[in-house]
Amino acid sequence: MSASTSESNAPHAAALASLGGSPATLRRLLDGYAPRAAWQAIAAGRHPADPDGRYRAKAAAPALEAARAALAKVGASVCVLGADNYPPALASDPEAPAVLFCLGDPTVLEGRARVCVVGTRAASHYGLRVATDIGRDLAAAGVVVVTGAARGIDAAALSGALAVSTGAPPVGVVGAPLDTPTCAAQRELWANTAASGALLSELPPGARGARWRFAVRNRVMAALAHIVLVVESHAHGGSLYTVAAARRRGTAVLAVPGSVHSPASAGSNQLLVEGARAVRNAEDVLHALAHAARERGYVEVPGSDSTAKACTGRGPALKALAPWVRQVRMALCHDPATLDDIVRRSGHNVTDVATALEHLADAGLAVERGGWWWLPPG
Amino acid sequence: MLALIESATLHGVDGRQVVVEVHVSQGLPAFTVVGLPDAAVREARDRVRAALLSSDLPWPMRRVTVNLAPSGVRKTGAGLDLAMAVGVLAAADVLAAPTTEGVAFLGELGLDGSLRPVPGTASLVAALHATQVVVPIESAGEATAVAGTRVRPASSLADVVGALRGRRPWSDVPPRPTPSNAVMPDLCDVRGQTVGRRALEVAAAGGHHLLLVGPPGSGKTMLATRLPGILPPLTEAEALEVLRIHSAAGITPPGEGIPTRPPWRAPHHRTTDVALVGGGSAWLRPGEVSLAHAGVLFLDEFGEFAPAVLDALRQPLEEQLIRIRRARGGVDLPARFVLVAAMNPCPCGDGSLPGSCRCTDAMRHRYLRRLSAPLLDRFDLAIALGRPEVGDLLAGTPGEPSSVVAARVAAARIAAASRGYRCNGELPGQALDELCPLDPDAAALLERRLRAGTLSARGLHRVRRVAQTIADLDGVVGPVGERQVAEALQLRAVHSSLVSSTWR
Repeated sequence: MSASTSESNAPHAAALASLGGSPATLRRLLDGYAPRAAWQAIAAGRHPADPDGRYRAKAAAPALEAARAALAKVGASVCVLGADNYPPALASDPEAPAVLFCLGDPTVLEGRARVCVVGTRAASHYGLRVATDIGRDLAAAGVVVVTGAARGIDAAALSGALAVSTGAPPVGVVGAPLDTPTCAAQRELWANTAASGALLSELPPGARGARWRFAVRNRVMAALAHIVLVVESHAHGGSLYTVAAARRRGTAVLAVPGSVHSPASAGSNQLLVEGARAVRNAEDVLHALAHAARERGYVEVPGSDSTAKACTGRGPALKALAPWVRQVRMALCHDPATLDDIVRRSGHNVTDVATALEHLADAGLAVERGGWWWLPPG
Repeated sequence: MLALIESATLHGVDGRQVVVEVHVSQGLPAFTVVGLPDAAVREARDRVRAALLSSDLPWPMRRVTVNLAPSGVRKTGAGLDLAMAVGVLAAADVLAAPTTEGVAFLGELGLDGSLRPVPGTASLVAALHATQVVVPIESAGEATAVAGTRVRPASSLADVVGALRGRRPWSDVPPRPTPSNAVMPDLCDVRGQTVGRRALEVAAAGGHHLLLVGPPGSGKTMLATRLPGILPPLTEAEALEVLRIHSAAGITPPGEGIPTRPPWRAPHHRTTDVALVGGGSAWLRPGEVSLAHAGVLFLDEFGEFAPAVLDALRQPLEEQLIRIRRARGGVDLPARFVLVAAMNPCPCGDGSLPGSCRCTDAMRHRYLRRLSAPLLDRFDLAIALGRPEVGDLLAGTPGEPSSVVAARVAAARIAAASRGYRCNGELPGQALDELCPLDPDAAALLERRLRAGTLSARGLHRVRRVAQTIADLDGVVGPVGERQVAEALQLRAVHSSLVSSTWR
């Protein structure tokens, strides 16, 4: 494999990655060739990994120019496997991408513990809250949070990690080219991630994305992580690809328990049934990380004292409430419930329940959003 | 040689008097109709001639000219047939002039001389000044409701001519059919759904518009169909309005009496905007909002209606009538109804809560974006429904029957009427402070919500109206209390999740 990615090699690497082959094909194309040499060999029809000339037709000068222009426009750096700037954390992985495109500083991955936080895009309030809290507390404890930078759990964990000013910056591994966020909110999230930590992609800017790329990308996240944490996953969610990739590598998988009634937690709860370690917060993750580090000799694990939370006393506020208001509070739980559920559980009439809920919300003892009620955490 | 016969045509839901002037003169045999007739009126020439000949009456072999006065107003429909036929007979001296004096005629003719009912008979009769009004026998009941003893029913042209000549009596007005005792769906079928039932009761008592959000099978339609059963029966004035509108649209089955129950309209979600608000090229037919006048308009699958169709509802919701304007004229149609809308919370229909289905925030947002915020703002009540518990479905205790709820609704309406408005939903915002004062606790609760940004200024008025209705239902006298305001806030809680772009 080639030794360095000189300036002149970068467009060739991007053009090679734009040819549309799988990551394994790209590795074969660059096996023993520098990007520029590989490109020229394909164009000349004498590359051994392209015996039937499939890529020869695509390896034309305009494709190279397009790749060069797209790369310059986005300002992404190019890391070719084996080059000095390739992230060492990934280099030894058997399925490491032959070429990585990167915004921000990929060296933030080095010398720190890395936890991959994954989960569903269609997340519940509960999952989003847990992901934000864990992302924030892990980053504060100096752990690099690695996510797929998609919507839902990924975005929540990322924004949690980004909210910390003095901690480890987060890293996003996206399944699409770096210049194609799906919406304005994601554009902002990606920009913040790149500005603070790093945003990686196997696809060069300007390339065409594909659905299968997202599942394939998950192996990169698993390869980067010392531990994989599933916050919330549907029964057959994409997060489970990351879990499978982690298991192939012997990386520990953790899961956050969810309600047994919540479809959003069906996949993560199944992991727990299969023996995954359950975690409630960043502290639990840090314990698991220390355990994994002892077993497998990873980098030192930061202490968990920074995540300790002050316990807020609810006693006095509760005692000030009328007995019937307390009865209505008994009908609330941490799962969101509709007014109808609370009326049924408490046995009071609609007027009483509505009044009691207003009192509880006023005292900070109940949370409401869009007609759904639940108990505040703590 | 000239005969003037009184009749009427329909304009929107109102009748307009038309004088049919028939002139028979020397000249080549011909039959012309002038005075802005539409196609149906022009075709009357063939029907009238055939009907006369079939009834063994002579057709004048001379030049016949019919003018429909006032000549500048468009005439529509086949209701002028009978007046033209009688006019021809009078102008040709087959009928003596005094026999048609002070008699007006309505009805479509068949080629065999039979008389057929015309849409809008109630409105047409109301527009006539004659001392006797001849109508098709099928419409006699409807006409009697408006014109009483002036109505002269007949079943054929021969009957009419015979009665005018005094050779046979007019037919009797058929006895008014007993109000249809069709079984209304009853609230006792609804198991569980305490909040849904309560919201329905409040909607009925205050005339508040109601939005139901819930997954398929949660009983949205079941609840909505039971609303007419707990609304108070129509007053006499309302019944006549409903009769006129439905008759003008041609949907009252002939022979049925005066409506007593509020109408119920449930158009499909592919309905066009003209079908919903009314209109059309020449006739200006009443739309669903007018057909639901004094009753309930139920829009199921609210999120599937075309956005333009839904936004056409804004004016009728605000002004309780719909102003239709076309290049050739316009009408104002009444449209005072309780709007009940039902919709799924997300495209797949199953996710009442984020995370409970595979729809992402962006998909939910796209789905709800079809509903404009100004339209959603017009709902006083917006509640989430969940699927009923299995225990509620199977346990034998039926819910409270409609009759009990209707009694409470009627009492609340009486309390509301003491404020000078038909129901609390119609209270103007500026009158709220005077008519529906708040006690200090209630005012404090609203202030907290306003300061926290969870209640808008527009929402404030809606909540106060609903709170007043709840106070009326619960028999609370005096200022509106905290309990009523708290409940009113909760019965509108879903609104915020629909209007705000995202759940986070």
